[in-house]
Amino acid sequence: MNLDARRNVILVFIFLMISIYLVKLFYMQVIDDTWTLRAQEIAEKRKVVFPPRGVIFDRNGKKIVTNQTYFNLMMVEDSIVDLDTAEFAQLIGWNVEQVRNRFKEIVDGEGTYYNKITKKRTPNYQKIRAYPFLKELTLEEMSKIAPHLTKFKGFHYEATSARNYPYKSAANILGYLSEVYREEIDADPFYKPGNNIGRAGIERFYEKELRGVKGIKYVVTSALNNAIESYANGKYDTVARQADPLLMGMDIELQTYGEKLMQNKKGCIVAIEPASGEILSMVSAPSYDPNLLVGRRNIGMNYPKLVKDPNLPLFPRPLQAEYPPGSIFKLVQSLIAMQEGVITANTGFPCDKDLVGCHNHPSARNIAEAIQYSCNPYYYMAVRRLIQQGVKRNTNADAEYGLQKWYKYIRSFGLGDVFDTDVSGQRPGLIPNPAFYDKWYGHHAWAFSTIRSISIGQGEVKLTPLQMANIVAIIANKGWYYTPHFVRSIGNNGSLKTFQKKHWTMINYKHFDPVIEGMRRVVNEPGGTGKMAQLSDVLVCGKTGTVQNPHGEDHSVFFAFAPMKNPKIAVAVFVENAGWGGTWAAPIASLIIEKYLKGKVSDLDKEKRILEAQIAYKKTN
Amino acid sequence: MRKQESLTQYLDWPLFGALIIMLIMGLATVYSVAFNEDAPSIFNFSEKYGRQLFWILFSLFLGLLVFLIDSDIYRRFAIPIYLSTLFLLVVVLFMPAVHGAHAWIGIGSFGVQPAEFAKISTALLLAKYISGLTVKQQNTRTVLTASSILLIPMGLILLQPDAGTFVVFTSFLFVMYREGLTFDPILLNIVNSIPGVRYKETWVGSHFIPILFALLFLSVITLLLKSVSIDLAIFGTGITLNGFLLVFTGLISIYLISWLLLQRLTTRRDRSRMMVVLTLGLVLAGSLSLAVDKGFDMLRKHQKDRIELFLGLREDPNGDDYNRNRAMAAVGSGGFMGKGYGKASVSSVRSNHVPESETDFIFCPFAEEWGFVGVLVLFFLYFFMLFRIIVIAERQRAAFNRVYAYCVAMILFYHFAINIGMNIGFAPVIGIPLPFFSYGGSSMMSFSVMMFILLKLDAQRKDVLR
Repeated sequence: MNLDARRNVILVFIFLMISIYLVKLFYMQVIDDTWTLRAQEIAEKRKVVFPPRGVIFDRNGKKIVTNQTYFNLMMVEDSIVDLDTAEFAQLIGWNVEQVRNRFKEIVDGEGTYYNKITKKRTPNYQKIRAYPFLKELTLEEMSKIAPHLTKFKGFHYEATSARNYPYKSAANILGYLSEVYREEIDADPFYKPGNNIGRAGIERFYEKELRGVKGIKYVVTSALNNAIESYANGKYDTVARQADPLLMGMDIELQTYGEKLMQNKKGCIVAIEPASGEILSMVSAPSYDPNLLVGRRNIGMNYPKLVKDPNLPLFPRPLQAEYPPGSIFKLVQSLIAMQEGVITANTGFPCDKDLVGCHNHPSARNIAEAIQYSCNPYYYMAVRRLIQQGVKRNTNADAEYGLQKWYKYIRSFGLGDVFDTDVSGQRPGLIPNPAFYDKWYGHHAWAFSTIRSISIGQGEVKLTPLQMANIVAIIANKGWYYTPHFVRSIGNNGSLKTFQKKHWTMINYKHFDPVIEGMRRVVNEPGGTGKMAQLSDVLVCGKTGTVQNPHGEDHSVFFAFAPMKNPKIAVAVFVENAGWGGTWAAPIASLIIEKYLKGKVSDLDKEKRILEAQIAYKKTN
Repeated sequence: MRKQESLTQYLDWPLFGALIIMLIMGLATVYSVAFNEDAPSIFNFSEKYGRQLFWILFSLFLGLLVFLIDSDIYRRFAIPIYLSTLFLLVVVLFMPAVHGAHAWIGIGSFGVQPAEFAKISTALLLAKYISGLTVKQQNTRTVLTASSILLIPMGLILLQPDAGTFVVFTSFLFVMYREGLTFDPILLNIVNSIPGVRYKETWVGSHFIPILFALLFLSVITLLLKSVSIDLAIFGTGITLNGFLLVFTGLISIYLISWLLLQRLTTRRDRSRMMVVLTLGLVLAGSLSLAVDKGFDMLRKHQKDRIELFLGLREDPNGDDYNRNRAMAAVGSGGFMGKGYGKASVSSVRSNHVPESETDFIFCPFAEEWGFVGVLVLFFLYFFMLFRIIVIAERQRAAFNRVYAYCVAMILFYHFAINIGMNIGFAPVIGIPLPFFSYGGSSMMSFSVMMFILLKLDAQRKDVLR
C-alpha cells in the first residue's frame, strides 16, 4: 500500500478547509453586510441629544420662560455592589422601606412583555439598563447627594432640563409640558418615551417652534450599554440646536399686576394693543403658579388639586366663559344702526320704561348720550329699526331680512366664531342668525318682539371676554382689527402670516366718533356710569356693563381704551358676581391702563380697595 | 559530539520565522484588544498584554532549554512522560472547578492545564509506538494498544470536562491514518463472523478518516432533515417523511441506482462482491442515520438546543447563541480592509460584547481590525506553517520524528480549524485557543514546547541512523 499518497490526502484536506473558510470569510466580511449591521446594532448607539426648549420673552425683552437644570439619580442594578441600604436611605433622606419599595416600583413600572421563545411573560426591566431612581432633583438636592455617590456603586446622576417660570404668572397663557402619549410618539418620530410635549397654551401651540432640533451622537457602547467613545470622532454626529426664542406681545409686569388685582376674585382681564392685535395681558382668575406643573412629580402632585379647586383655576375664563355681553353690546348696535342709516349720530329716543326697564336718567338726545346713560329703551327702539326695516311686508319675513343683515355686520367684528390664532382653547360664543331662530321658534314664527333682548346684549347673544376685548380694540381703531394673538415674533422671523392681515369691519370710520365720544362721557362726565375708571392725566374711554346672571349676583363688566387719541391699550374686565359694572370692573380697568401706560399707579387707595376685596371666592384652605 | 554553534545550525529557519511572526501578531492583537489607557506600557505585567509578553519570553526560554537537551530523550522517556501527564490528569480532577471544569492545577495565581501538555506526551508516545510497528505486523492487540494511548487521556479529559481538548485528540486519527494504521483486524473479526463471508481486508478499517467524515456528514444531514417534512400525499400514501425516513429514502434511491449501474457496467464476479459492499453500506448508513435520529430525541433539552443552534436550526442571538452571534458580528464587520489597528469596537475587552475576546475569540478582534486582508495573511501564515511541518515530517529519517511531526501538524490544524470555525459559525463553541495567538500561559507554553521539540528533532535528524 502506498502510504505516501496519504500525505497528499491530508494536504488536500487542509487546503480544502482553508479555502472553504476563506470563501465564508470573504462572504461575511466583504459581500454580505448582515454582520456589519448586526455589529452596529450591538456596539453603536445613536444617542439622541435633546436641545433645551426655546425660551420666551415678553414685549419688553423680559425672559418669562426659561429652562432650569434638574438632576435624575440613575441606577444600574447590575453595577450595584454590596449596597448598604440603610446608609443609602439616609443619604437621600428616606427610610429603608421606601428604598426597597422604590426598587420594586421601578421594576413593576416597566411592565412585561410576552416572550415568544420561552412562552412566558417577561419583565421589560433589564438589570444592565440605567433607570431613574430619583427624578427631578434640584441642584441643591443633588449637591448634597453627589459627593457621596462614589460609595454607592451602580448609582450616578444625569442632568435634564425643565421649564422654569420666574414670574410665577401667566400660567393660563403659557400652558405646561407633560410626557408624550403613545399615540403622539407613533404620530411623530421626534418623540421618544419620556419626552415632554407642550400640553396647553403657548407651549402647545408653538410646540414645533419651541422644541428645536435634536442632535444625534453616535457612540460606541459596551455590552453594559455604557458609552465608551464617540464613533468615528464624531464625523456623523449632528449638533442639537435650541429653538429661536419666542417674543410675546404680553407685558409680563402687566400680567402679574392683573393677576394680583384679581386675587380673591373670579373673573378675567383681557388687554389688547389695538394697533397690532397683540394681547398685552390675559388674566384668568383665580390663577396659579405655572411652576406647579413642571415635571412629572409636580404634575402628579398639583394637577389633581387644581382640578378639584371649586374656584376652577384651570378654567380659561377669557376664552371659554361665554357671557351675554350686556350693555357693552350697545356700542356695536349703535355702530350698525348708524351704518345702516336707521339712525344718525343725532337721533334721540325718549327713555320709555314701558318698553324695557331702565334706570333714572334724562332722555338721550343723541348716540353719545345714549351710551353715556346706557339707555335701554333707546337701544330697544334703535335695534327695532334695524331688524324691522320695513323692506318686506310680512313682519316675520322683515325680521328675518333685518336680522340677516345685522348678522353680517356682527360677523365682520370677528364675533360668532373663534379667532384663527395662537390662543388655544377658545369658545365661539353665540351670535344668533335667522336660521338659529327658525330652529328655535319655527320659520317666520318670530319677529323683533321675540328677540328684542339682543338689542341690549342680553338673551341669546354670548361672547367671550377675548371677543369683547377685541370689540374695544376695533372701536379704538375706528373700524379694523388685527386678529388678537400672543406671539409677535418667532425668533427674528416675525409673527404668523394670519396675524399680519388687517380685518376691516363693515362700519365706516366716521360712525365711530359719536360712539367714542359716548365712551369718553361714560368715564369723564357727571352722570357717566364708569366714573371710577377716570384717570387724572389720561383720557379713558369706557363702557360699563352688568351681565345678568341667573345663578346669583350679576357679573360686573367694564371695557375701555386709552388714551382717547391714538389708543395704546384696549381692555375688558370681568368680575364675576360683583354686581354693577362701575363698581369693581371700572376701577380695575383704570389701574390696568395706568399701569401699562405709565408703569405705576398713582391712586393707591383705589388699588388697596381692589386688592382687599374678596368677591364670590371660596377659600380653599 | 557536536559543537556549540550547531545549536542553530540545522534549525529550520522558515518554520522558526513563521512562528516568531505569529507570536508578534498574537501579542499585538492581545495588546490592542485588552488595551488599558491607564497602563499603556507593554511591559506592564498587571495587564494581559504584559503577562502575555512574559509568557512568550518564558516560552522562548523553554524552547532554548529544549534545544540544549539531546532530542533522543523524548523517544527514550516517552513512556514516563506519558504516565506522569496521566497522573496530572487524574490529580487535576480533584482540584477545585474553575468555570465548571476541573482543568487547572494552580499554585497561587499561577496555574497550568495538564490537558495542554497531555497533547505533547500523547504525541510522543504515539510516535514511539507507531514508529516501532510495520503495517504488515498489525493485529488486534497493536490496534487496541495504539487506540488506548489516545483513549485513556481522552477519557480523563472528558471527565474534567473539557470538550474542546477532547475533540482535539481526535486529530491523532489523521496521524494514524497517514501511518497506515488500520482497524481492519478488529473489523475483520466481526465481518468474518457472518457465515459465508471471508475477507482479507475491509477498506473501511484502513480508510477510516474519509469514512469518519462521511458518517459525520450523514449525521448532520439526518439532523438537518429532522425539521423538514415532505408529504407523500402526491403518491396517495398520506405518509409524511422527515429525518431518518427521508435519509433512508435517499439511501435506498442511491442503492437502487448503483445496483442498476452495476448490472450494466461490471462483470458478474465483481458484481456480487460489489453488491455485498453496497448492501453492507446501506445497512450501516441506515442504522447510523436511525441511531442519530432516535438518539437526538433522547437527548436532554439543553443538549438538543446546543446542537440545533450549531446547525443553525434555531436563532437566539441574545441567549444561547450570544457568544457566536457577537463573534460573527465582530468578524463580519471587519470588511475588506478592517477597521484599523486598535479600533475593534465590537470585540475589544473594554466593550465586552464578545466574551473571551482575548482568549478563545481572539480571531474576532484580529479579523475586525485587519479585515479580510488580515485574514488572508493569517491564513497564509498558518497554511505555510502546516505545509512546512509536513515537509519537515516527510524529510525525517526516523519514523518517530515523522509521526511526531504529523502529530504537531494535525494538532495545530485542529486548533486552527475549530477555533476559527467557532468565530465564523462553522464549529460549535468549544473553548479551545488559537495557537500562538490566544492569551494564556498554558497554551502558549505547550504549543511552543511542542514546536521546539519538533524543531530540535528536525535539527538533529541527521544524527539519527535508524
